[in-house]
Amino acid sequence: MVRSIFILILFFSSAFGNNVYTQNCISCHKDLSYSLQEIFMRYLSAYGGENNVKAGMLHYFIYPAKDISVMPKEFLEEEGIMNHGYIGEKNLQKSIDTYWELYKVKGRLK
Amino acid sequence: MLRNKVTNSLLANEKKSLHRFLVLYIIMMISIISLISIYYYQYQKQLMMLNQRVILSDYASEQARKIKSLHFLFPEQDTYPRDDRFRSGIYDLEYEKIFSLLKSSEIYFDRELYITKDKKIHFIKIFDDYYLGTKYLILEIDDDGMWIHDTWHDIIFYGGFGILIFSIIGFFLLNLFLSPMKTSLSILDRFIKDTTHELNTPLSAILTNIEMIDLSKISEDNRKKINRINIAAKTVSVLYNDLTYVTLENNIYSSSEKINLKNIIEERVEYFDILAKSKEIDFRLELNDSFLVVNKNKFTRVVDNLISNAIKYNRRKGSIGIRLLGNSLTVEDSGLGIESNKLDYIFDRYSRFSNSEGGFGIGLSIVKDIIDEYEMDIKVKSQINKGTSITIIW
Ligand code: HEC
Repeated sequence: MVRSIFILILFFSSAFGNNVYTQNCISCHKDLSYSLQEIFMRYLSAYGGENNVKAGMLHYFIYPAKDISVMPKEFLEEEGIMNHGYIGEKNLQKSIDTYWELYKVKGRLK
Repeated sequence: MLRNKVTNSLLANEKKSLHRFLVLYIIMMISIISLISIYYYQYQKQLMMLNQRVILSDYASEQARKIKSLHFLFPEQDTYPRDDRFRSGIYDLEYEKIFSLLKSSEIYFDRELYITKDKKIHFIKIFDDYYLGTKYLILEIDDDGMWIHDTWHDIIFYGGFGILIFSIIGFFLLNLFLSPMKTSLSILDRFIKDTTHELNTPLSAILTNIEMIDLSKISEDNRKKINRINIAAKTVSVLYNDLTYVTLENNIYSSSEKINLKNIIEERVEYFDILAKSKEIDFRLELNDSFLVVNKNKFTRVVDNLISNAIKYNRRKGSIGIRLLGNSLTVEDSGLGIESNKLDYIFDRYSRFSNSEGGFGIGLSIVKDIIDEYEMDIKVKSQINKGTSITIIW
């Protein structure tokens, strides 16, 4: 009984992580002039490795600033600085993980 | 007639220093050549690496451009750019592999150019912008080993040439080193030979005339004097025979016959008896029959020298023991003894046990010569102030 509840919680929480990403990130980002793919590649070329990218992103989401953004000036002027922190650090982390898994280059080159 | 093989007449301690010189020279020669070889090898390796660096850094820039353009086309295009001239791989700043075609996974991220253990040359280019997440682009080509082959070829060829030159120089140096010894030895040889020749006639005259004197007809006083003359003449005679042997006749005595050594020894003991008596030395003989096929004159030189040394280096009222067994002859005296550090040199020509006694020091060198010729063994035991015993074994 206790075990099945535990498994259920685990299942929902992971589903929720994906949910945050699809519900929040995608829905808001699909109208922006830079796709999430493009943004990801910018992060990758600026930050390099997985941990670096994730840490950089998280930091930006909570403390966004013009001069640490990887996006071009015009884009930022157009869209304004976006504080992603309102969905909570936990959710941010989860969606960043999902984001990474979806767009990472490692293992996808032929 | 003079012995031409000069090294034969070199003395053992001179041979020793000659050996030292040779060993030193060879060690020096080998270390110089290996040092140059090592330096040359390193130099060739650096040269090869320098060439590779130029080529590989060109390749790397080209590959970097391709990676950059793939970065902007990803993921619509996801084929990693290949090149026939090299293999490559990309790693991120956490040293995680992004994609790799490398055969060797032995990667040193902190170096620019190196050869792996499985003979691949790696060149690493570091990216400033991490396209596709790449920080390290690694290029790999096979080290065909041609340069090592060529280098070894050169080292063996020029090294061999060097050894040849060094050997020729060494040979000349050696000759330079030897020539003063050669000349001094041959001057001595020639001098002795000339002297010897002049001694022959007067010495025979003295000895035969002493034999002819009828001792019973002369006074006691004169008999003593005659005895002394006899002793002196015999001493000179032994010396004469030795010198003749050395300078002339060692090549002439050649016929061997079966002889009883006991007879020779008895005869020679009698001959030396008068010398021994003058120092009140006793002979203690233990002689068994012992036959040997040798040249009589040569073996007489051996016996003469052993006995005359035993008398010469004995103390007054001492004794001489001569023991002839089936296959050995021992002569021991009760004299001064030889210092152990000099034992190695006693068979050298012109060396003497002690400076207090005269002589040319050729006696034992003759003994050794003859012993060697008959392939016998000689052993010397000596204790200071107790005496010396020399044993010949056959
Ligand atoms: C309310 C709309 C909205 C939502 C929801 C949203 N974003 Fe954004 N995001 C933006 C805007 C607008 C920008 C551009 C401004 C900026 O970069 O600060 C942006 C920028 C970014 C950037 C670039 C940051 C930079 O360095 O400039 C990343 C990465 C990003 N979003 C990821 C996400 C992820 C992941 C999520 C889901 C957790 C998410 N966004 C949710 C609107 C949103």
